[in-house]
Amino acid sequence: MATMTIVQAVKRALDEEMARDERVVVLGEDVGKRGGVFLATEGLYQKYGPDRVIDTPLSEAAIIGAAVGMAVHGLRPVAEIQFADYVFPGFDQLVSQAAKIRYRSGGQFQAPMVVRMPSGGGVKGGHHHSQSPETHFAHTAGLKVVVPSTPYDALGLLKTAIRDDDPVVFMEPKRLYRSIKEEVPDEEYTLPFGEAAIRRAGSDLTMITYGGPTVESLKAAEELEKVGVQAEVIDLRTLVPWDKETVLNSVAKTGRALVIAEAPRMASFASEVAATIAEELLDQLLAPPIRVTGFDTPYPYIPDRLYMPTVTRILNAAKKALEY
Amino acid sequence: MFQPFTEEPIRLIDEKGNWIGDFELDLSEDALLTLYRNMVAGRLLDERYIVLLRTGKTSFVAPAAGHEAAQVGMAAAIRPGFDWVFPYYRDKTLLLSLGYPAEQLFAQMAGTVLDPNKGRQMPEHPGHKDLNVFTVASPIASHVVPAVGAALSMKFQGTGQVVLTTFGDGATSEGDWHAGLNFAGVQGAPIVFAAENNRYAISVDFSKQSASARIADKAHAYGMPGYVVDGMDVLASYYVMREAVSRAREGLGPALVELLVYRYGPHSSADDDSVYRPKEEVEAWKKKDPITRFERFLEKRKLWTPEFGEQVRDEERKKLEAAEEKALSAQAVPPEWMFDDVYAERPWHLEEQKRILLEEL
Ligand SMILES: Cc1ncc(C[n+]2csc(CCOP(=O)(O)OP(=O)(O)O)c2C)c(N)n1
Repeated sequence: MATMTIVQAVKRALDEEMARDERVVVLGEDVGKRGGVFLATEGLYQKYGPDRVIDTPLSEAAIIGAAVGMAVHGLRPVAEIQFADYVFPGFDQLVSQAAKIRYRSGGQFQAPMVVRMPSGGGVKGGHHHSQSPETHFAHTAGLKVVVPSTPYDALGLLKTAIRDDDPVVFMEPKRLYRSIKEEVPDEEYTLPFGEAAIRRAGSDLTMITYGGPTVESLKAAEELEKVGVQAEVIDLRTLVPWDKETVLNSVAKTGRALVIAEAPRMASFASEVAATIAEELLDQLLAPPIRVTGFDTPYPYIPDRLYMPTVTRILNAAKKALEY
Repeated sequence: MFQPFTEEPIRLIDEKGNWIGDFELDLSEDALLTLYRNMVAGRLLDERYIVLLRTGKTSFVAPAAGHEAAQVGMAAAIRPGFDWVFPYYRDKTLLLSLGYPAEQLFAQMAGTVLDPNKGRQMPEHPGHKDLNVFTVASPIASHVVPAVGAALSMKFQGTGQVVLTTFGDGATSEGDWHAGLNFAGVQGAPIVFAAENNRYAISVDFSKQSASARIADKAHAYGMPGYVVDGMDVLASYYVMREAVSRAREGLGPALVELLVYRYGPHSSADDDSVYRPKEEVEAWKKKDPITRFERFLEKRKLWTPEFGEQVRDEERKKLEAAEEKALSAQAVPPEWMFDDVYAERPWHLEEQKRILLEEL
């Protein structure tokens, strides 16, 4: 067992997959000699050379669009977008090409590719280094969306993403890149999409979350325990497909649901989960599902951490649900 | 009249400080000394920002030492407060030279209420409506097309204004950059595109960015002249920019000016440049320093002595220190400001969300 951070887990997943399958290539800005600005590709250029670790010109349209072409022609590209906020110049390629080529061609062509991107706030980066744009991808038919929150999951899910036959958007919560360390098995493993992880069991309230706010959710659950409330914390891990069964089973048991995410609330993935709970479990709910999300403003530089769901905000919402 | 598309960069001062232009220098002594003072002030500002970072007063710096001559030259070529500027994040010396108040630049770095942008953006992202400086956006090249739009508005309204937009070499790979130049070319927009080519986009050197020998060459494709300039030469930067700006003002259309510069520091405070470029390369460029070169030029004209240089540095340092003091002693931006300016008026859902935040403060 080795102890590693999320960024190290990502690097190991890339390395193992590149060693296993020579069709796997990495492309992006500064992924070569520099090893990526977060060092997620460190050492790969030296190991696999410039034809498999490609420093691209500064164009996300080129990165994602070329990945589509490589994928339809038989490679397994893993594109890095330096920050999720910079996916937008490549958004058309993702939405119009990657997401639709299988459907558009009646299944003749497929684009097995991964687009990795550090996402989320808490790094004092202002709006263009802090956003959580997963809703755009989840809203786009044809894209799978994965958001790990631990090193173990990052490793297993990224390997699955690379082997998957569909385009996968792989979002890495950058504020957790180095803050969480965890033991990870030395042997190879993969993790399936569509299976949530129950991070903490409880009977009074369910917190459904993913990515960065998993940390605040667990802290809030600890606080609640001090006052005798047992919260169950579910980390979705993958958004498309998402694990409806685990969520509904838990909420059926607790009768109360908080959906906690960093992305803005308006038309968000959190809203999708909350709506599903309301639709399918209405008669078993003790309180309406409550969303605790980022605010519907651009992500401000000041205040940085207060934009995202704080422990206090989660506790305020829990109180509302418990006192309903 | 400068020739576009030259093989060698346009240069007016050689490295020994000799004037090598084939025309009469038409700047007053005062104007020359202002160029000098602005470069010195820009260098000092850059140094102060790094101190702010080390003392935890800011969270990010984009070092600009090495870019001073290009930026001071451009600033002098336009009419501040009349023409519009769409800058990028490495332009502190340009903005300071345009008269952007230093205390407001410092306030932007620290997120205090003196920042006209209300602390909304990360450091090195200023902007100022009164000075017609469009607030910087991080996404590379995203400001280039809006800059063209503003120029078209100027053209259609016949205001006589010109747009200056700046960007790095990496920006020339983005689709938006090409979309902007193409549209400007088609419409003959009054705009000057200024590439501050420091050879690197973070770690990616220019040979991996473009197969063109020069950025200026790309102007060909968009039907405008492209000039390549020694951007470590403040007079070359100024004169070429002046010509490009006056062409645009006269209705002769856009131009692309490539200023060859070098950034002495890492890409940003989050970067380690030793991984991708040799120290010797940096040292070699520092020997071509634009401020030193201009000092030699001024010295030959009896406008500069080491004592005078020291005096200018002292004066500028004092001004910056006073500005910094004022900016940093101002109140920090209050958290609830985040709900303002999302729209012209705050809709109900933001009122609700503001209450959620206030509940927890
Ligand atoms: C659309 C977009 N993609 C990626 C980035 C991340 N990034 C910030 S600066 C930079 C390099 C820019 O290089 P260049 O345009 O040459 O300007 P320089 O920083 O060298 O002055 C990159 C890739 C970004 N800000 N925007």
